[in-house]
Amino acid sequence: MSGEEQNPAAVPVPVQDVQGDGRWMSQHNRFVQECKDAEPDVLFVGDSMIQLMQQYEVWRELFSPLHALNFGIGGDTTCNVFWRLQNGELENIRPRVVVLWVGTNNHEHNAEQVAGGILTITQYVRSCLPRSKVVVLGLLPRGERSNPLREKNAAVNNLLRSALDRMGPVQFLDMSAAFLHSDGTVSVRDMFDYLHLTAGGYSTIATPLHELLLQLLDDIPQERRASLV
Amino acid sequence: MSSDDSNPAASPTPCQDIQGDGRWMCMHNRFVTDSKGKEPDVLFVGDSLVQLLHEFEVWRKLFSPLHALNFGIGGDATQHVLWRLGNGELDHISPKVVVLWVGTNNHGLSPHQICGGIMAIVKLINQKLSHAHTLVLGLLPRGKNPNPLRERNAEVNELVQGEVAALPHASYLNVDPGFVHTDGTIWHQDLYDYLHLTPQAYQKVCEPLHDRIKALLDQPAENQVS
Ligand SMILES: [Ca+2]
Repeated sequence: MSGEEQNPAAVPVPVQDVQGDGRWMSQHNRFVQECKDAEPDVLFVGDSMIQLMQQYEVWRELFSPLHALNFGIGGDTTCNVFWRLQNGELENIRPRVVVLWVGTNNHEHNAEQVAGGILTITQYVRSCLPRSKVVVLGLLPRGERSNPLREKNAAVNNLLRSALDRMGPVQFLDMSAAFLHSDGTVSVRDMFDYLHLTAGGYSTIATPLHELLLQLLDDIPQERRASLV
Repeated sequence: MSSDDSNPAASPTPCQDIQGDGRWMCMHNRFVTDSKGKEPDVLFVGDSLVQLLHEFEVWRKLFSPLHALNFGIGGDATQHVLWRLGNGELDHISPKVVVLWVGTNNHGLSPHQICGGIMAIVKLINQKLSHAHTLVLGLLPRGKNPNPLRERNAEVNELVQGEVAALPHASYLNVDPGFVHTDGTIWHQDLYDYLHLTPQAYQKVCEPLHDRIKALLDQPAENQVS
């Protein structure tokens, strides 16, 4: 309960190249290079949920125009994302908003640990980029029918909701309810493998997310807004 | 060599639900159920490279019109596909062409073992669907830079191509449009994570694939003649 260093989900860990093709590190290195070449206003960081979004039309339609970079890597846990951010993926850039979506792959950690890992990353981003806003996306339900991983993800969301409330310019966006049908099932029309989103599934989250980003990017300080009236 | 029990790639194995959300078995059950009402002319079977194809425009443009079903599951190795096909996924359909694309996830196995796994699937398809032609797609290179898995996949392709050449009911198609550039690198514009294809890369892969499937569909009952 005491220190962050006791939460295994809040420890930075690179992915081991067990398969032998070095893909994870190649992607990380590419992201670090992109930081040197680009000046994003919005940075998306996370696992395959972030990564796959870039392969759909919705990215080009809604998020690319916001000057967004996508640093998603399939399979990443909070530990892996934390390591990447500590090792160059926040250098040379000053995004106005960072969108964080990770945690559903933390299979070895319980809900408290996963939420703690996400909060640690959020605090780290805030300390590196004190002028940036952070959007934390809630974990989505997974599996066709109710199962322990769904309950865990819902518990993570509940923990995040109350903790992030007290963290200043951090927004929590939980769209999990939109994916649960009244009979408790998740549809393949939304999640083709009951985890990853279809183009239709991404449209469901893209609209509220895009609106929130526009708001945050548009946000002019209260006093200036008052003087404009 | 295909029913060699000592080859894990050729021993039908269901995917273990280590994560605890039962997704793999749900997908398999859905494929079996889905197949009952459908009369597909073409069946795609394999891993995430098959599965993701279904999510992009190219599927609707090129393959849906051919009456195609997609039984791809991310992460599957040959032994998993072998189990699925032996446990209901082929029982209610009689496609004319089966497109098989699997093997890049068979980690820790030799090219001979992986080839044995692929050939075991080809044999099972032929047993269950005697009038179908199986089109085996070559494994793609992977990783940004040259690495052992690229060499392994290339060796698998060579072996499979040799084995398939002798079979009247199967053929091999190399669908790599040249993803490895002259400096040895693969671009993320083609394979976004140096393994999975972008929509643009699917377009390059699928046009020749579509032509080949069309040709096979137009060929009258080749198997029965030979
Ligand atoms: Ca920069």
